[in-house]
Amino acid sequence: MRWTKLGAVSLAALAVGGIDCARPALAADANVPVLVPLTGFLSVEGTSQRNGAVLALGSPPAGVKATFDVSDTGVSPEVAVNALERAVSQGPVTAVVASMLGAQVLALLPVALEHKVPLITISGTAAVTQQGNPYIFRFFPGDQVVKEAQVLFAIKQYKIKHPAVIYQTTAYGQSGHGAIDESLKKHGIEPVYEEALDVSIKDMTPTLSKAKAAGADSLLLQLHGGPTALFLKAAASANLGLPIVAGSGVSQPSTVALLDPLELKGVCGETGSSPVSAETPEMTRFLAQYRKAYSADPDSFAVQQYDGTMMVLDAVAHGAKDAAAVTAALSTNSYKGVAMTYKSDGHGDMAHSAVIICYDGQSRIPKVAMHYTEDQAAK
Amino acid sequence: MITLQLLIDALAIGAAYSLVALGFVLILNATSAVNFSQGDLVMLGGFVAVALAAYLPVPGIVLLPLVLVIMAGLGLVFSAVAYFPLRRRPPEAVFISTIAVGIILQNGANAVFGPEPQAAPALLGSGEVELGGLSIGRQSLAVIATAIVLILALRWLLGGTQFGRRLRATAQDPDMAAAVGIPVSAMIAITFALATALAGAAGALLAHNFFVTPTDGTNYILKAYIAVTIGGWGSIPGAVAGAGLIAIFEVIYPALPILVPALGRVDWSGIAFSQTTSTIVLDAIILLILLVRPQGLFGEAVRQRP
Repeated sequence: MRWTKLGAVSLAALAVGGIDCARPALAADANVPVLVPLTGFLSVEGTSQRNGAVLALGSPPAGVKATFDVSDTGVSPEVAVNALERAVSQGPVTAVVASMLGAQVLALLPVALEHKVPLITISGTAAVTQQGNPYIFRFFPGDQVVKEAQVLFAIKQYKIKHPAVIYQTTAYGQSGHGAIDESLKKHGIEPVYEEALDVSIKDMTPTLSKAKAAGADSLLLQLHGGPTALFLKAAASANLGLPIVAGSGVSQPSTVALLDPLELKGVCGETGSSPVSAETPEMTRFLAQYRKAYSADPDSFAVQQYDGTMMVLDAVAHGAKDAAAVTAALSTNSYKGVAMTYKSDGHGDMAHSAVIICYDGQSRIPKVAMHYTEDQAAK
Repeated sequence: MITLQLLIDALAIGAAYSLVALGFVLILNATSAVNFSQGDLVMLGGFVAVALAAYLPVPGIVLLPLVLVIMAGLGLVFSAVAYFPLRRRPPEAVFISTIAVGIILQNGANAVFGPEPQAAPALLGSGEVELGGLSIGRQSLAVIATAIVLILALRWLLGGTQFGRRLRATAQDPDMAAAVGIPVSAMIAITFALATALAGAAGALLAHNFFVTPTDGTNYILKAYIAVTIGGWGSIPGAVAGAGLIAIFEVIYPALPILVPALGRVDWSGIAFSQTTSTIVLDAIILLILLVRPQGLFGEAVRQRP
């Protein structure tokens, strides 16, 4: 499917984004293939990623003409690699929006290195920026940032001493679990109970009961969106009375839509950003733009993929004419996006802050309870 | 309190899985073909309930008959598309075609309903009911009751009616059934309709408490396959027993340290009774059954396992 900025999405973006319709003559072309998981177990998050990227590509900065194909990478690394090989074989590529699935990004890295094309991703898997590859740029805070924020908030807000850590058996769950344990250890806390859950587990009652019996004073979660909803529903039903600080699954509108606001009362969670909370005028504008384009609420994945893609287009608008120039710009420049300001740490990690959101039990729109930056951790 | 709640949860999950496994066995017995799309039909049933609820804001128990009818109709279409054109081909052709149907259903649901998890309406309302001072989930009780009614109805249909006897005759020996005047093709088509309706019912029952997403089918077909392997390839009581055993390992086994406090005090309790270990133990039991009693616990070894 060939997309251009003349699509409905771009019209909505032009209408709401405040972009000058009387553009100067086109100065530069940007070809940015979008390779994201639209089917399989990561399809919810992959759809957000696609939406954010397409919204940006549909409303590029003045003077830039953006073209792009959207390819579904499913959840297998070889499909993602084939999609990238196909994309680079069809002509010059400015940058690639790369799947948020860590296993796929890891498989794409050698191909990106071979073709010298930058990958723009929002994968949270720590390993993707630890390979020494100069072509990876991650616009979502890594686990070491968001999990530290999660633990720090739980300590400050709830004075936790004996947490239970519940996580998924997937790469996402394992990576986050490692970061949570590391952060807890740093603060001198040891979990009293830990449980890894397969994504097919439906009944959370045994896990909740065992956490309670182990003497847990809080629940720290690292679960995907659907299991987060199942867990919170079961916790509300069991009326455990333990504070819950969840992973980014609880920030996804599709997760929250499955729960009654009362079932969310007092639940907090970490995430890169919370566009539905509309803290800033830029976020409010993005929220309206996204809702108009997709008739849905955006999550942090959508807004941060939007920002990453916009940074590429901004580099093109400022004279980066090919993949090499865009790579150089991404490596050295800083960019003020909708969610935060991005700058590479030298390894391709562009996002260095996170937020903690909490629900009040009356609304499905969370409030931002804490802002966290890596600087705080350093202090 | 927690013991009763866990038992109710296990019964509810086991009851819903029984419907999945029964549908699987019905088609297996009628056609000797493994229907690999049974899990995706469960998923579809969940989405049909979600879609109906958008237009008819009534309790799930009112929607359930509609789900059954719609899914039965889809079952007829399924048999016409994926079974009858291939019935004279090698058995592999049919099970490949059911895999294809499953993929089409999964991607079709993704395109139509989107990838987000969605919840079907509760059968009789959500929340808890007070029974003798205990709070029990209303939906879990309703799922158990509904599944029991459906299983008993199926039992009566197959065992207590002339129609059921014709269905069973077709399953046991299609050529002989045809020789005595039974419309074999019609019986097989009806079997597909019944199996698909059961899958749809399971989907509608599960999609309130556990939501539904387009990719859920993969999990459900695995559960059906395991249930039928444990219970006995082709055995209807075995399918129900196998589904019950899966539910026990999903709900009761990981909770044993709570139910038997002495187990919770041993050092290795956390590892031995984790959800992951529970899955490993269940799979080890399946291997054991295949080695020691390949015909399954209920042993109606009338079909060759593909």
